[in-house]
Amino acid sequence: MFKLTLVTPEKKLVMEQDVESVIVPAFKGELNILSGHTPLITTLETGVVKWKEKGKENYNYAVVSWGYCEIFPGGVDILADVADLPADVDAEECKRFISASEKRLNTEVLDDDTFTDISREIVRKRADIEISKYKLN
Amino acid sequence: MASLKDIRARIESTKNTQQITKAMKLVSASKLRKAQHNIVNMRPYALSLRRVISDITVTQKITHPLMERKDHVKKVLLVVLTSDRGLCGAFNTNINKYAENYYKENKNNFEKVDFFFIGKRGLDHFAKRKIQPIESITKLDKDISYKLAAEVAEKLLKQYLSGEYDEIRLIYNEFKSAISQNVVCETLIPINVGLSSFAEGKNKNNFSKDLVFEPTAKEIIDQLLVKHFDLLVYRCMSESVAAEHGARMTAMENASNNAKDMIAKFSLTYNKLRQEKITTELTEIVSGAEALK
Repeated sequence: MFKLTLVTPEKKLVMEQDVESVIVPAFKGELNILSGHTPLITTLETGVVKWKEKGKENYNYAVVSWGYCEIFPGGVDILADVADLPADVDAEECKRFISASEKRLNTEVLDDDTFTDISREIVRKRADIEISKYKLN
Repeated sequence: MASLKDIRARIESTKNTQQITKAMKLVSASKLRKAQHNIVNMRPYALSLRRVISDITVTQKITHPLMERKDHVKKVLLVVLTSDRGLCGAFNTNINKYAENYYKENKNNFEKVDFFFIGKRGLDHFAKRKIQPIESITKLDKDISYKLAAEVAEKLLKQYLSGEYDEIRLIYNEFKSAISQNVVCETLIPINVGLSSFAEGKNKNNFSKDLVFEPTAKEIIDQLLVKHFDLLVYRCMSESVAAEHGARMTAMENASNNAKDMIAKFSLTYNKLRQEKITTELTEIVSGAEALK
């Protein structure tokens, strides 16, 4: 068991919570962190962070865009640029955004930066849709 | 001497003004609370980011162009952070004065001093003095978001990396408390990560040298420094916003008090005048009745 902290510049999502397992979208692919993991620092890709609180059955979910993750004995710190919880996500809105942006990518001539930006946003919105299934009603 | 009607009108209009200033004060107070909340929310992120950067740079002995201080600073970019709107006391005046003095004093020491304005007040002030910025951002009316700060940071970084400037400095209002602000000039780049977190020494022990990096430590530092810089800009902007609302709150509080004093003064004159008029009328009636006897 160890502590998880998940923060962005604008909000604190999780502060030093006891967790059993954390799964992050790391630089080299998905990384499952359990108690006693080697100390490690990695950057995060856009994707879904999952964590299981102590004594609970189900995972909690959040979408993060660029960030980094530091694993040290006793805990995990995740610092993300943006993080959305399932409750913040509007799946319909995301679908509209994806179809609109894909259309832009296919039809317009864009410079490299815009292209990467849009592609990244699409990945993020897809992840948003994925976690929106876990919304608590 | 003003007539009763005139005075009544003035009292009314002062009352209206007072209502407006009171409302503005309340609005600023609630915005201030939000801005303060933002600053507090950012703290854990900032602290842990800085800790990691200094830990990595020290243990892995990495240097980075963004952190190296240049020996001869010749070209300076001044970023002047003001608000878009007035009615906040000396908030903007202080900044503009400071920036102007700074410019006058250092114009001859440096080869080049350029401006980058954030906020309409600074831009307008220097436009009157025929100083053109290399760039300016004015539409700040909505709350400053991290995204906006990141954009500004990216622009500044580009300027610095292209070798246009040796140093980038930011002049802004530091938020001290709701009633006091401090004009501060801070060097943004080269980035001063400071080994302060090492001096604290708290986390030194559990930071192992066998740490695994994915990708390499160098690449991570590259990205982290950029993030750190974004955050630095965001922090300064948030402080400035909080300071602005604080300043406006105080200014509006003073304005409301002044309006109250004015109303009291007018009411006194009004009552005196009314009494005088009644006395005159009474005297007239009495003397008229006397004459009839």
